[in-house]
Amino acid sequence: MDSVKKIKMRTAGGIALFWVVLGILLCYGATQLGLGSVTEPGSGFIFFWSGLILVILSLMVVAESLRSTDGTVRETAKMNWAKIALIILSLLLYAFFLERLGFVLTTFVLLTFLLGWIERTNWARSFGIATAAALGSFAIFELWLKIRLPKGIFGF
Amino acid sequence: MLESLTSLSYGFNIALQPQNLLYCFIGVTMGTLVGVLPGIGPTATIALLLPATFKLNPIAAIIMLSGICYGAMYGGSTTSILLNIPGEASSVVTCLDGYQMARKGRAGPALGISAFGSFIAGTVSIFGLILLAPTLADFALKFGPPEYFALMVMGLTVVAYLARKSMAKALMMAVVGIVLGCVGLDPITATPRFTFGLLDLADGIGIAPVVMGLFGIAEVLENLGVLTKTEIFAGKIKGLFPDREDWRRSIGPIARGSLLGFFLGLLPGVGAIVPQFLSYALEKKLSHHPERFGSGEIEGVAAPEACNNAAVGGTFIPLLSLGIPSNAMTAILLGALMIYGLTPGPLLIKNSPDLFWGVIASMYIGNIMLLILNLPLIPMWVSVLKIPYSYLSSFIILFCLIGAYSLNNSTADIYIAVIFSLVGLLMKKFEFEPAPLVLAFVLGPLLETALRRSLILSDGSFLIFLQRPISAAFILFSVVVLVAPLFSKLRLGRGLSEED
Repeated sequence: MDSVKKIKMRTAGGIALFWVVLGILLCYGATQLGLGSVTEPGSGFIFFWSGLILVILSLMVVAESLRSTDGTVRETAKMNWAKIALIILSLLLYAFFLERLGFVLTTFVLLTFLLGWIERTNWARSFGIATAAALGSFAIFELWLKIRLPKGIFGF
Repeated sequence: MLESLTSLSYGFNIALQPQNLLYCFIGVTMGTLVGVLPGIGPTATIALLLPATFKLNPIAAIIMLSGICYGAMYGGSTTSILLNIPGEASSVVTCLDGYQMARKGRAGPALGISAFGSFIAGTVSIFGLILLAPTLADFALKFGPPEYFALMVMGLTVVAYLARKSMAKALMMAVVGIVLGCVGLDPITATPRFTFGLLDLADGIGIAPVVMGLFGIAEVLENLGVLTKTEIFAGKIKGLFPDREDWRRSIGPIARGSLLGFFLGLLPGVGAIVPQFLSYALEKKLSHHPERFGSGEIEGVAAPEACNNAAVGGTFIPLLSLGIPSNAMTAILLGALMIYGLTPGPLLIKNSPDLFWGVIASMYIGNIMLLILNLPLIPMWVSVLKIPYSYLSSFIILFCLIGAYSLNNSTADIYIAVIFSLVGLLMKKFEFEPAPLVLAFVLGPLLETALRRSLILSDGSFLIFLQRPISAAFILFSVVVLVAPLFSKLRLGRGLSEED
């Protein structure tokens, strides 16, 4: 068996395992909620059947990917996972600090980070754009569209 | 017919009110802008603007949001023709001949015919909507829970059938969508389901953060370092009006594209992306010189552009007359209708005629606005594209975060959006499509309620879905759609992916 096919099988197996486990957990959770009866379906009814179908479909996906004989792994665009992880982390931190520090300050910090660190824009420009965008979006959403944005400890 | 025309004139009275005109204008302009910009589409934009519309009257809000839907179709073609980058998935085919026309110095007529074609198709689909939606709504009054359940199952199987990669994977996404849509309190017994003790999940997962994550942030993350500087068509765009010969060659494709798009758009689950591929294939088949397609044939621009616009009108029919969305974009519009306290379904036209007819009339006005505004504004849209993607990507992320937060003023929704952006990214990596998930997510609660009511009604017999003729027809169709690929290697979606 060539190495390409091995990689394919391993990936397909890994994905299938994930979905099968998820499906089984779903079925288990559904039974805890109560399946009810066919005449009066309970809260877990739809989840149970969804879990079961998920397990069946994931096995079908494995069969499908093993059957495909093109022998090539589809070339997907390379993703920069380190950068992606950094961005995801920064967004989670944004959510954490938003109500504590307020919209303007948190947004300024996030945009400076995204522009200066991730996108490698020069720092002076990053500061300028981040300031303008934080204040501008506050003006548009809070003052004009009357959407309540969090004020935080500094009151803005 | 006469009654429809009277209602339409009533609709024009509503749509021509200054406030509604203004929001129509804002909607189509925003739509064109997001259509031009790669990386953010109409679905995420509607979700983003949803909270901003709460203070508006629902008619003005829906007028604006639907303006974004069809405005994006106009905008998407601009980038396809000038940059060879589809601003929207529904403008992919336009790249093939549109960009070649631009390279041959015929960017003007390509942009012109796509705008005129879109306008003609928009008009056709609006008239179709006027004729069909009320009739369909009357018919749908006969629908009980079994019919609704069967119709939704049909919509989801069609979406899966049209999946461009694996049908089983698309069905899996539909199942996941149903599960996610049903998280929260049980609609019948109020038992919390899969909320893990979190109060924020008691009301269920919101559509806005899910869409923001899957369609907004995930797209930006995927494009990190991939989108390099794009080559913008540098030549001066002249002669936007197609000449007599262009018209002669385009009028047939526009007519066929309009009809094809409209009728395919009608089917739940089809949306605007698939019809344009079919219309391109149809024109190629009908042409005396199919070999010239792909090298700058005006027919290859006129037909798909007309088709995707007509399809948008078509997708509004199941939405407004049955309360069933056919793609992610109309799914979020359905969410909007419910947030405004309107009950989507066959009674919407009777109970809220001002909304239905006002929105339809506004679509016509919006199409005229797009035609008048779009062509002269093309240089402006081109200059928008010169903004570096590094700036745009940061702003798209910011707007998605604001959009997710502002619906419930809850940071939990930001966490949900971020989690779904990662989910979206992994889905792209492993070739799972997001559209069936979003559609099923919105349909999930409706589907569950319809299923449980049907079973209560039938005293537990699943045969109820086969004993009633309408639901039996829907189920039969779904079974055919599910089983057909087993017997034939030809599957539409896969054929489409080869066409790319």
